[in-house]
Amino acid sequence: MTSTGTVFDIGYQRYTDAREGRGRSRQAIFKDGVRIALGLGRGGRAKVLPWFFIVVLSVLGLGFALVAGAANRLGGPGTAEKVNLPSHSDYYGIASIILFVFGAVMAPELLCRDKRDGTINLYLVRPVTGGDYIAARWAALVAVMSVVAWLPQVLLFLGLSAGDPTPIVYLQQHWIDVPRFLLAGAAMALYVTTLSMLTASFTSRRAYASVFLVGLFVITTPFTVGLAEEIGGKAGQWISMFNLTNIPVHVNDVIFGDVSDITEDAPARKLGSAILVSWYFVWTLVPGAVLWWRYRRLG
Amino acid sequence: MGSVYRLTLRQLSGKWRLAIMTVLAGMPVAISMLMLSSEHAPSVREFEKVVLSGMLAGSIAPMIVLAIAAAALGNEVEDRTLANLTLSPIPRWHIAVPKLLAVITIAAPFVVVSAFFTSWVGYLGDVKASVAVTVSAFVGVALYASAFVWLGLRSSQAIGLGLLYIVLWEGFFSGFVSGVRLLSIRHYAITLMHGLDVRRFASATDMSFGIAIVMAVLVFVGFLVSSVRLLRRMDVP
Amino acid sequence: MTAATRLSAAPLGMTTVIRVDHVSRWFGSVVAVSDVTFDITPGITGLLGPNGAGKTTLLRMMTGLAATSRGTVTVFGERVRDNPPLYKRIGVMSEHETVYGFMRGRQFVRMMGELRGVANLEAAVDKAIALVDLADAQHRPMATYSRGMRQRMRLAGTLVHDPELLILDEPLNGADPRQRVHFKHLLQQLAAEGRTIVLSSHILEEVEQLADTVLLIVNGKLAASGEFRAIRAALNQRPYHVKVVSDAPRKLAAAVVTLDSVDAVHVDPDGAVIVLSRNVRDLQIELPRLAKSAAISLRRVEPLDDSLESVFGYLVEQ
Repeated sequence: MTSTGTVFDIGYQRYTDAREGRGRSRQAIFKDGVRIALGLGRGGRAKVLPWFFIVVLSVLGLGFALVAGAANRLGGPGTAEKVNLPSHSDYYGIASIILFVFGAVMAPELLCRDKRDGTINLYLVRPVTGGDYIAARWAALVAVMSVVAWLPQVLLFLGLSAGDPTPIVYLQQHWIDVPRFLLAGAAMALYVTTLSMLTASFTSRRAYASVFLVGLFVITTPFTVGLAEEIGGKAGQWISMFNLTNIPVHVNDVIFGDVSDITEDAPARKLGSAILVSWYFVWTLVPGAVLWWRYRRLG
Repeated sequence: MGSVYRLTLRQLSGKWRLAIMTVLAGMPVAISMLMLSSEHAPSVREFEKVVLSGMLAGSIAPMIVLAIAAAALGNEVEDRTLANLTLSPIPRWHIAVPKLLAVITIAAPFVVVSAFFTSWVGYLGDVKASVAVTVSAFVGVALYASAFVWLGLRSSQAIGLGLLYIVLWEGFFSGFVSGVRLLSIRHYAITLMHGLDVRRFASATDMSFGIAIVMAVLVFVGFLVSSVRLLRRMDVP
Repeated sequence: MTAATRLSAAPLGMTTVIRVDHVSRWFGSVVAVSDVTFDITPGITGLLGPNGAGKTTLLRMMTGLAATSRGTVTVFGERVRDNPPLYKRIGVMSEHETVYGFMRGRQFVRMMGELRGVANLEAAVDKAIALVDLADAQHRPMATYSRGMRQRMRLAGTLVHDPELLILDEPLNGADPRQRVHFKHLLQQLAAEGRTIVLSSHILEEVEQLADTVLLIVNGKLAASGEFRAIRAALNQRPYHVKVVSDAPRKLAAAVVTLDSVDAVHVDPDGAVIVLSRNVRDLQIELPRLAKSAAISLRRVEPLDDSLESVFGYLVEQ
C-alpha cells in the first residue's frame, strides 16, 4: 500500500510583499550601529558613557565661546582674535585625545561583541556579506563621530556669533568657518573611526582593543617627538609624521590655513600641505582597506 | 584562595596581551635613552614631567593595569563564569583578594621594571632615585589594580570609564585644577616618589607625604572592601 | 487564572529542604516572579513553565545568585542569600554553558572540588568524572568539547563535592538521546541515595518520567504543584478526553451520551468515540456496563490527556 500525504490549507498566509535586498540589510546594520554607539534603546546605563563624552566635548566648545565672549566684552570686539584665544581652528587639536578615546571605546562595542557572542554569524546567514557588515558598521561610527565632532563646533560658532556685538557682521565675516570645521571634523571622524575599528577587529575583548588603541595614540606622541628632535632635519620631520595624534590635526591646519597649538612645534609641519594631506589618506585608506579585507573574507 | 589566584593568572596571561604590555612598558625606557643620547638632553624637570609623570605614571602604568584589572572580574561577569566562584563555600574576600593579587602579580613586573630602568637611565644611575620611583610605581600599580578590579565588577563599561579617568581626570583636569590631585592615584604615586627622595619631583608639593600615604591606603582598602561588598550583594549572572 | 493549587503538602516525616515563602522579584516595572510559595522535599522536583515564565529567576533566587524583592528563601533551614558555607551542601548547574575554555576537563572539576573544600580530592574528581562518563576526554581542553560534553563536565563539577541538594537549570541542553538516558539513570540513582534534586527543563516527557513532584510556573506565578496526575485531577473544570474504540462507534456514542458522567461525545474521522467527562471514576464503571447491555464490543479505552504535556498546556492556556 503506498503512503500518501496531504497538506491542508488552514489559512496560513505566506509573506507575499516585496522582499527588500542587501541595501535594506545594510541600512539595518547601519541603524543598529548608530544605536549601539549612542546607547539608544539599551537602557540608561548604555547611554552614560557616549553621552558623557558628547557633553564634555560640547562643554569644551561652549567654554571656548564663553571665554572669547568675555574677552571681547572686556577688551572690545575682536580682542579674542587679537590675543589668539582658542577658536574653531584650535578645537580639534585640543579635543583630539577625547575624540580618540571615544573612538577607542565605541569601535570595540560595535565589533567585539558580535565576535564574542557569535552574533556575526547571524548576520552572515542573511543576504549580507562580510564586506556589507563592516561597511555598515564603519559608516555608523563615522556618522556618530562626525556628529560628535561637529556639535561642539556648531555650539562654538553660535556662541561666538551671539556673543559678538554685531552678529550679522560676524556671520558675514566668519561663515567660511562652517564648511571648514565640517570638513575638518569629518576628516577627524574618518581617521579615528578607521583606526579604531581596525584595532577592534583583531580581538573579541573590548578591553584590549580600547587600551591598545589609546596606548598607541598616547605613546607615539612623546616617542616621535623625542626621536624627531634627536635626529633633526628632514628625517626628523618624517619621524614626526608618525605622531598618530597629529595626523588629522595637520589636516585641520591645512583646512583652516592656520596652525593649532598642538602642531605648532611639530617638525612635520615643514613638509608642506600636500604631503600632510597625502599622509592622512595613507593612514585612513590603508587601514580601511585592511579592515575591509579582513571582513570580506568572512561568510 | 590559591585556586582563584591560579585561575586568574591563567585567565589574564595570554601571549598577545603580555607582548603588548611588554612593548608599552618598554616605551618609557626607550624614550629616556633617546632623550639622554640627544645633543639637547632635557633637564631633570623636563624628564620628570614628560617621561615619569606624563608617560609612565600618566599613561603606561594605569593603562596596563586597566587592561588587566578590569578583566579580572569583568571577564567572569561577561562570560557568566563568576557563579563558579560565588557558588563556593568561601567568603567573598577569598575571591576578591586573590583576584587583586593576581592582577598585581601580572601588571607589577612590567611597570616596576619599566620604572626602574627608565629612572636609572634618566637619573643617570642614581640608585636612591631609581628605588624611589620603583617603589612608588609599585604602589601606583596596587592602587590602580584595586580601583579597576572594582570597576570591572561594577560596570560593563569599565574600560571606557577607566580611560576617561586616566585621560580626562588625571591627564586633563588635574593640570588645571589642583584640587583634583587630591583624588588622583597618579599624584599619590608622584608624591610618594618625592617623599622617598626629596631631591626628585620638587614640583610635587600639592600634598604632603603623610596625606599621600593615608589616601593611598584609603583608596586601596576602600576599593577592595567595595569589591567584596559588591560580590556579596550583586545578582551574579 | 485560578489561584495556585497546592495539592501535596510535604508528607509527614519528610524534611523541607527548600522553603520559598511569598517570594517576588521584579526588575523595574517587570514582575518576573509574583508571590510564590512552596516547599521542596527530598526526591526529584521538576520546575516547568513556558519561556519567560520566571523559572530561571526563581532558581537563581533559590541558589542565592539573585536577591528576592520580597519574601524569603531558606535552604536546610538557613537563608541562602549571602551564606557561602551553605554551598558545601548545594550543587548548582546554571543554564549558561560557558566554561573556561583553556582548562582541561579534569582541571575544571578539580578546581571546583578545591573551591568546595573536598577532602580526598583526586578520588572525588575520578568519581565525578566517571559518573558523567567522560574519563576518556578529561585531559582535553574544554574548548575542544562538544556542547553535550561541556554540559556533562559541568555536571561533574557540580557533583564533585557530593552535595545533598542539586539544582540544575536546563541540564539536558545539548545532550543526545543516549546521554539523556544515562542522565536520567544518574538522577534516579542520586535521588534514591536521599538527595534532593530540583531540575528545570522544557522536555516534558522526561520530567514526567523523572520527577516525583512538579512545579508549574506561568507568568511568574505558581500555577500548580504536586504530582502531575493529581494536578490533572484538580483541574476539574476541564473534562478528560477518553478515546474508546469499539465495533459500533455510532451506536456506542448514542448510548454513552445519556450517561450522567459524560459531558459530551463526538466521533472522530477514524471511527473512535471521544468522550468528554469530568467524572472519570464513574465513567470507568458505567462504560463497560453500558457496552455489555448494548452488546457493543469495546476494543480499546485510552485517556488522551493523562500526560504532563496536556496539564502544562491547560494551565499555560489559562
